[in-house]
Amino acid sequence: MFKQVTSLYLPGYARTLVYMLQSTEYQVEPYIKWIHRTKNFRAVSYRRELAKTKAAQGLLYALRLGILIEILAGVALIILGINKTIAGGIFFGAVVIVIYPFVWAYLLVVPLILGRYLVSKPQAQRDITTASQIFKDHPATKIAIAGSYGKTTMKELLLCVLSEKLNVAATPANKNVSVSHAKFAKGLNRDEDLLIIEYGEGEPGDVKRYSELTHPNRGVITGLAPAHLDKYKTLKAAGEDIFSLADYLNNKNVYVYEDSSTKDFIKKPYHVFNQSGALGSKISDIKVGIDGTSFTLSKAKKSLKLKSGLIGRHQVAYLAFVAVLALDLGLSEEQVISGIAKTKPFEHRMQPYELNGAWILDDTYNGNLEGIKAGTRLLAELKAKRKVYITPGLVEQGEETEKVHLEIGNLIAKSEPDLVVLMKNSVTQYIEKGLKDEGYKNELQIIDDPLDFYVNLKHIVAGGDLVVMQNDWPDNYV
Amino acid sequence: METVAVIFGGRSTEHDVSVVTALASIIKPLELTKKYHVEAIYIAKDGSWYWDEKLKDISLFSSGQIQDFIRRSNPVSVQFDGGMKLVKSSGMAGRKQVKKIDIAFPSMHGTYGEDGALMGLLDMAGIPYVGCGLRAAAITMDKVLAKEVASANNIPVSKFISLTKRELEQNGSEQLKHIEKTLKYPLFVKPAHLGSSIGISRVKNDTELRNGLEVAAHYDDKIIVEEAVNNLIEVTLPVMGNDEPIPALLEKPLTNPEDFFDFDTKYINGGKKGKGAKGAQGYSQLPADLGKDLYKKAEQVGLDAYKALDCSGTCRIDLLIDSKTNEVYFNEANPLPGSLYAHNWNKAGVSSVELVQKLIDFAKDKFDENKALTTSFNTNYLKQF
Repeated sequence: MFKQVTSLYLPGYARTLVYMLQSTEYQVEPYIKWIHRTKNFRAVSYRRELAKTKAAQGLLYALRLGILIEILAGVALIILGINKTIAGGIFFGAVVIVIYPFVWAYLLVVPLILGRYLVSKPQAQRDITTASQIFKDHPATKIAIAGSYGKTTMKELLLCVLSEKLNVAATPANKNVSVSHAKFAKGLNRDEDLLIIEYGEGEPGDVKRYSELTHPNRGVITGLAPAHLDKYKTLKAAGEDIFSLADYLNNKNVYVYEDSSTKDFIKKPYHVFNQSGALGSKISDIKVGIDGTSFTLSKAKKSLKLKSGLIGRHQVAYLAFVAVLALDLGLSEEQVISGIAKTKPFEHRMQPYELNGAWILDDTYNGNLEGIKAGTRLLAELKAKRKVYITPGLVEQGEETEKVHLEIGNLIAKSEPDLVVLMKNSVTQYIEKGLKDEGYKNELQIIDDPLDFYVNLKHIVAGGDLVVMQNDWPDNYV
Repeated sequence: METVAVIFGGRSTEHDVSVVTALASIIKPLELTKKYHVEAIYIAKDGSWYWDEKLKDISLFSSGQIQDFIRRSNPVSVQFDGGMKLVKSSGMAGRKQVKKIDIAFPSMHGTYGEDGALMGLLDMAGIPYVGCGLRAAAITMDKVLAKEVASANNIPVSKFISLTKRELEQNGSEQLKHIEKTLKYPLFVKPAHLGSSIGISRVKNDTELRNGLEVAAHYDDKIIVEEAVNNLIEVTLPVMGNDEPIPALLEKPLTNPEDFFDFDTKYINGGKKGKGAKGAQGYSQLPADLGKDLYKKAEQVGLDAYKALDCSGTCRIDLLIDSKTNEVYFNEANPLPGSLYAHNWNKAGVSSVELVQKLIDFAKDKFDENKALTTSFNTNYLKQF
């Protein structure tokens, strides 16, 4: 209790508040919720630190100045009270000083709200209007990518392979909302052959807005899985938003990854790709290893042997689709083979590295159930002396949280690891139950301090181990 | 929960290596087992003992703040009444902190630690401890004795001569002549009791031999001079276990024969002459590419030497191979290899956590076996007086 109360008055308190705001991407509601549930502000900024951006530093200086002024005002009141200039000055001064942590925790968002509505939003709206015209006038083929997962992977694959022949521009990293699209448009030269635009859906209506802004003429839907259910509430609602891209395209030039989750949304004119084929071509002879994945793509009597640095059977559908689309866009077979060969795992996405003789598959940027299905399937498929699976679970699963994590427990158990490591949080109990229900009997470790665990992973693994490490659990989730 | 004391530092030229072994390869993995309370016991260069949580932090040593720590702290005393207890004065109203130690994990290289001195103390205390016992430690840490024991057990060794510092001082020229008459250049001159390649020279003529002997005599009172093995492949084999030893992987340092590992090469430059990555033994072929038959043969010589020297817990056996004749020679043994040679065990499929756990288990097994031995019996001898 003493530690909790004193944590409000520590010199680092202001930095902690700004860190919390930054971690919630300057969203007021999650920030306020986080403030309400935090008991000890010492332990908040544990896994990461405040990124020193201009916005964060500006806020930090303003906050410190505000706190200082309030403390000085309190001290002045106390002095005036002692001098009997103001009746009750001592009491009011003390109150002013004592309440400053509470006052500034809320006051901090005021300039943010004002700034957002008075400056950022109007400016962003102007940029978006300009960008919409840029996209509309741009002569390039514009491919939009939407989906609950796999968007960045698909974008990077298209960029890597199509760049073998075409002048391609793509939205950077995971910058995938309207403001980022507007910035992307600003940087275009108009001489590009092809634009790839990633859509980062977050709430109903997002994908429709992105479509109206970027004017795509082809659309790729990479899959549907429980994500952002805090806002969408149901998977169906998320699917409707994602498939509004097809509506925008009048159901023409729509490419959809077909599985049980997208099946109900697929209409006849759509082109589909799945684990057995892509747009009429068939996939066969899949081989998965720690160094990559190879397969054969065939149509009529023609066949193409492809090898990618990406790891996992689940990657084949995307790779096959990209290869077929590339051929359709005029690339030669040699260019496609070369482009696919250049595809490599992206950072923290099924990225392999060796640690003390063990192979670690780092998939900590994964944030959805489909990724977990792929990761556990891969763990089951690859050979190893000892198999280890590590996860904290998935954030933002809304009302589906329990169901999703029971399924994750089932999936992990089915992959038969020798050791399962769970990072303790609000979903651990469901994963544990899922493991138990599926009859998992090997070793289970539940870790209180994830940072300490990851730092010391090198002491735990050895030659012959295969470790699949999925998902991340940022500080702002319990 | 049992308490394990990791003892490191010490009055040895290998003091610093011992600190790294304890902090990087023993304490953290032991803590990660979540089965033991781990206490860090540091023996300073003057021989005084310290016990503190702060001693688990490498920055205390790397920053040089250890000297301030020593100045401000009271050394601990050790009691041997019914086991081993650490006693530290807290400085508050004369109160004392006492900690009973259940198992000791020596992390000492060289003199007063790896050579059997500490093991003798722990035997007297009557607690289990990790690694070789007094006898094996004393033999392995004496390169001359180790070779004599190996040779007596039909394990091939390269030709060698030993001499004392006194013999060298009194009769240097004669000794030199005797060496040149008995052995063929190039030769290795080594202090008999030191590890980590300290004080070792490779000599090709009488001038270099004279200098090499002088350097070795500076560090030790006993010197060994060995014939170099032709067509040399140098390999090393970490082994663990008691009666049924388990080998790790044969490891081959990737240096030229003339660039044998000296201290800086081994520990400062990460195994490379000149610039290289930090860390011990960072530049080696693992497992050594020897061909199946030669690998098997060398591994067997390593295991035979481990048994012949009566090792237990762990030890690293260094071997020399003549690549033309495929003859494998025992060279020397290290009862506590730097950083436990964890990188080799890791590659062999034993994680650092498993390694320390196994070593603790071996220590307990050995202790239980020894406890079952009869060490006294009643006689009427004293009645006659």
